Amino acid sequence: MTDPASNLLPATNEDTCGPYFPIYFADPALEDLTRFPPGVVGAAEGTRIILRGRVLDRHGELANGAVLEFWQANAKGVYRTPATQGDAGIDPWFDGYGRLRTASGAYEFRTILPGAAPGRAPNITITIFSDGISRIVTQVFFDGQAGNDADPVLQSVGNDAPKLIARHDGRTASGAEVYVFDVVMAGPGETPFFDDLES
Amino acid sequence: MAKQGRILGIGPTDNTSDQRTPRQPLRLIPDIARASFVPVVPARYATNPHEWDMTRTAPDRPRADGVPIEVTGRVRSASGRPVAGALLEVWSANHYGRYRHVEDHSGLQLDDNHLGMGRVLTDGEGRYRFWAISPGAYLARPDIGRWRPKHIHMSISGGSSRLITQMYFPGEPNNASDPMAILMGDAFERNIGRLRDPQTAGVEEAYDFDIVVGGRSATFFE
Repeated sequence: MTDPASNLLPATNEDTCGPYFPIYFADPALEDLTRFPPGVVGAAEGTRIILRGRVLDRHGELANGAVLEFWQANAKGVYRTPATQGDAGIDPWFDGYGRLRTASGAYEFRTILPGAAPGRAPNITITIFSDGISRIVTQVFFDGQAGNDADPVLQSVGNDAPKLIARHDGRTASGAEVYVFDVVMAGPGETPFFDDLES
Repeated sequence: MAKQGRILGIGPTDNTSDQRTPRQPLRLIPDIARASFVPVVPARYATNPHEWDMTRTAPDRPRADGVPIEVTGRVRSASGRPVAGALLEVWSANHYGRYRHVEDHSGLQLDDNHLGMGRVLTDGEGRYRFWAISPGAYLARPDIGRWRPKHIHMSISGGSSRLITQMYFPGEPNNASDPMAILMGDAFERNIGRLRDPQTAGVEEAYDFDIVVGGRSATFFE
């Protein structure tokens, strides 16, 4: 794994966050990217959605205490990164990064439907930390989006593509479209996870 | 040999690891999608100015039980670039091995002067510093008598650098049998704090723990 010719510093090992990631560190603004502090004028552009579902273990049980992080483009398909600083497509009221800890294993994340970045279908990167594992990463897509058939990540997982597509729940809640996506950490129906160290 | 995604190791004697570790090899990310897998954490962190001192719950409160320690270090990327202005979220058990967390049902002793949770930012050179109580080891698996060695949890978020890790302590008897340490193998050494002279009267022990955030952090800044 380590290239002997590399002069890179050896990385600190990732480790499990354990069962007691502090609820104390929760930030409501990271659990609802459409939320605005009371009294402040502003709103993220785009279609409001609720992404909800369960994080499940090898036996289909809820994975309690998992920490989920979300990363997405804004409604115009632009990610807010150092590379896009000053880009006209940046939404000043949308950073695209969210985080929550689920006590039970069921989660609900409020955001806007991401736009399609060039060559991609709309998606949200989900990073999962939990007891028993170090960081694992995947991407979730949205049922019925035109670009899904041609998306390189969905194509790369072949027959497993449906496991990465959130189902539209067919209803709205408080004005937001509801999508449902379960993460299966291991075992039958395991969600495809991606290697961002070797890729 | 064609590049392949890793197969993640399962922590031996760790039930949760067995239940939650993906069994399939990780998939390789197509090049065109690689950048989309690099979250950039916005730099608007909630911290309180007194949180660097976790040996007490507030500046006007008494010291918690146990040995007060200082932990310092630098956070860098694998190429040596300091990770400046990053958020370090720190949490650890008290002197008795108990977390002040509503889901810690161990029954171990709580300490009213110990919160065990704090946030600090790295400076322009990636340096950080905090005080904590040297955490107690605790029996994680009473059924098989497995202890968790003393450790401090740290979560680092800074731009595209993201790492959750733990600092362990040198010479601890339970280090060798820790399931995550076993998975790390020889590289476990990197996660052990280095004992140094405290150089302040405020603490009894001091440790240096330099952190290198590997992997995906490279994309935007280098």
